Amino acid sequence: MKNKKQLLIAVLIGLGFVILPLLIEGYWIRVISSIFMYGVVTGALNIIAGFAGYAAFGNVVFFGIGAYSTAMLMLRVGFPWWGGCVIGAILAAFFAVVVGFPVLRLRGHYFAIATLGINRAVEQIALDWGSFTGGGKGITLPLPQMEIQSFYAMIYFILFGLLLVTLLTNFAIARGRLGYALRAIRDDEDAAEASGIFAPSCKVIAWAISAFITGLTGGVFAYWFSFIEPATVFDIMIAVKAFVMMMLGGAGTVMGPVLGAFLLELISETVWGQFLTIHMLILGTIVIGVVIFIPRGMLHLFRQRFSLSALIRNIKNQSI
Amino acid sequence: MQTNPIRRSEKALVLQVLLNGIFLGAIYANIAVGFSLAWGVMDVINVAHGTMIVMGSFVTFFLFKYIGIDPFLSIPFSMAVLFLIGYFAQRYLLNLVVKVGIFLSLILTFGLDLVFINAVLLIFTGDYRSVTPSYSGSNFQVGGINVPYIRLATLGICILLTGLLQLFLTRTRTGNAIRATAQNRQAAEIVGVNVARIYSVTLGVSAALAGACGSLISMVQSFTPFEGGFFIMKAFIICVLGGLGNVYGAMIGGVLLGLVETTGARILGTGFQEAISAIIMILVLIFMPKGIVGSKYK
Amino acid sequence: MALLEGKDLSKLFGALAAVDQVDFQIEAGEVLGLIGPNGAGKTTLVNLVTGVYPLTRGELYFEGRRIDGLKPAVIARMGIARTFQIVKPFPGMTVRENVVVGALFGKGGAQRNIKTAFEEADRWIEFVHLQDYRNASVDRINISFRKRMDLAKALAMGPTLLMLDEVMAGLNTKDIEEMMALVRRINRELKITLLVIEHVMKAVMGLCQRIIVLHHGRKIADATPQEIVQDERVIEAYLGERYAKARQRSA
Repeated sequence: MKNKKQLLIAVLIGLGFVILPLLIEGYWIRVISSIFMYGVVTGALNIIAGFAGYAAFGNVVFFGIGAYSTAMLMLRVGFPWWGGCVIGAILAAFFAVVVGFPVLRLRGHYFAIATLGINRAVEQIALDWGSFTGGGKGITLPLPQMEIQSFYAMIYFILFGLLLVTLLTNFAIARGRLGYALRAIRDDEDAAEASGIFAPSCKVIAWAISAFITGLTGGVFAYWFSFIEPATVFDIMIAVKAFVMMMLGGAGTVMGPVLGAFLLELISETVWGQFLTIHMLILGTIVIGVVIFIPRGMLHLFRQRFSLSALIRNIKNQSI
Repeated sequence: MQTNPIRRSEKALVLQVLLNGIFLGAIYANIAVGFSLAWGVMDVINVAHGTMIVMGSFVTFFLFKYIGIDPFLSIPFSMAVLFLIGYFAQRYLLNLVVKVGIFLSLILTFGLDLVFINAVLLIFTGDYRSVTPSYSGSNFQVGGINVPYIRLATLGICILLTGLLQLFLTRTRTGNAIRATAQNRQAAEIVGVNVARIYSVTLGVSAALAGACGSLISMVQSFTPFEGGFFIMKAFIICVLGGLGNVYGAMIGGVLLGLVETTGARILGTGFQEAISAIIMILVLIFMPKGIVGSKYK
Repeated sequence: MALLEGKDLSKLFGALAAVDQVDFQIEAGEVLGLIGPNGAGKTTLVNLVTGVYPLTRGELYFEGRRIDGLKPAVIARMGIARTFQIVKPFPGMTVRENVVVGALFGKGGAQRNIKTAFEEADRWIEFVHLQDYRNASVDRINISFRKRMDLAKALAMGPTLLMLDEVMAGLNTKDIEEMMALVRRINRELKITLLVIEHVMKAVMGLCQRIIVLHHGRKIADATPQEIVQDERVIEAYLGERYAKARQRSA
């Protein structure tokens, strides 16, 4: 957000999204809601993976924890959906803290794999502990007490609101002490500690924030679809997509991850609609393309003068 | 001295479970050895390895069903096909990002995985397949223990493949070049190793092993194009247990996991088995970062 | 009471004693040199003081308080700062942002907000004459500037004790002169105590009031610069037994 002009554009776009539901039909409202949701998940991932540099491939576990908490609280205890979501988010953050202290000591690939293992373990527990979680049959939530189109519009605005919260959180972190601490940790953890940064606490805080937001989103997802099962809410594909979106937009920036989410999810939805049988092929090719051609993200690309020859030279330089 | 017949059958049961554990462990070891090779040598976590195994299964399936080639004889074919796939994937895609950052290659292999799965899906559809040659299910008995022929042969072939790999790495020029590059890429370049080609060969070999593994597995369980994720998870766990890039570690880790799973399933029931293996992996990562066996293979 | 005191410090890596029963003190306000052949244990000693490695044996005191066993971040906040032999900048950030990290998390850091931290950072960037490169990305500047940035970052931490690990390495003659002038200012104007690890003899002789010599992890000398260059054991350590014996014979 460098100048007034950019801010104005952003506000206009925001207003545009607010008015949008009046102009478009139900299908697109759901598509854009889905895009918002990925924006939030990616923005949350950015806090631990983009700023701190810890590739939490299993971050979707918090999504699942939020979803299941909300579902069970609504169903068994009669909580309102927002109550369930908040408690689910708190549980997710708590889980991040408990697991974070030991696991964040791992670096690089090991941390990534550990988070995958954590997601897998929790998913399996949800599957096997049928008596508590409904197992493979999933949980059906109480249906919302309102007209379906209004419900979808409400979800649209909830997710939009969450997206704004995520952007603001990213912005606040980036500008504040935590942001500098995390970036220092990402760049050189030992030098960061030598400068007086308490790396373990900073990392855990970052992960807890990420978990909280992701958990909230999981709860909203549960309320939205009224049915959840382990395979959907602990789905690794959500995490992988979020990662690619973050990279596509620019990891460690504020707007980048959300932009990447918008672009990729829009493409994903369109492709899924038109080319169902080859959508994995297209997605996979896009992923490969992003990694090879835009590894530092679109935002980075826009900031420099973009030329095809420079791009190719870059790739040649970095190849084996 | 007469052994109590009840004791004898208990003993047989224990031995049966152990044997099953070893059979399973052999397959797991095979999965892990190939996976670990790419990781240890190039720091490439090939998430598509699981799907490469599945592709090996499909090659065998295709050759068995449409051409009538015996599954065991199809192994060289699946190895060749997968070698080429791995070689070209490394040569023209992965080699472009290996130097940049460790996660880029991981995500690239995720993309490859998606492409592979979709390709297999288009060719073979998502139906469950299996390979059942005439001798499926036959076994012989030894002292009350059931020994299926296919499982025994699988064990033998896994041992053979691991041995061949070890010979390849230590006795051939290319193999030694691979080990040298694994230890120090720049030094290897300086002495004239063509690192691009060596890396490509490494992934090719890794994929070939996956292909063989897939061929063997095709006879043991039914499969769809989506089985890859299951195998990858096992590979992670075993590599963590056995120490990265360590061929012996992968073997031992694989057998260990096989034994743990079969005995665990016997005692606890198949219920929380998956969760337990995942948790064990995390605990090992936290407390024994070098794996149970030792440090990185170099 | 000495500012920093180490008693019977030992650090073993397996069977190798990188630091072997070293006793030393640094008095407030002095510039202490730490020299020795490569592999003598100098950087290891600094790592022990800053808490990067745990002590195998011995005790460390800073301002009278026991500090061995404390985490690096805690020690940094107590007022001990260091530079690294191979410069460790934060590559994703500009020069200014690198220095601000020191200002935010060093000794006075807790009281500062982002704005005041940046003001502090600017002050130190000027001190090391790097203001023209304030907003440059660190991977674009040369080694001499990176060393000065490292220095600014350490100074921004507001240390009482500053340990410089081969800060002259890789610099040309002119840069060395400038760096020496900076180090003198740090000691005399800012009243910061210094430990200087160096191979560049001109710097060691010109800056230090006292020198400690390490060899194979052991302290073999602790004296003024003039005494050190005459010391038999030091000469033997640096130039080898045969040279030392030859010198003795010709003396």
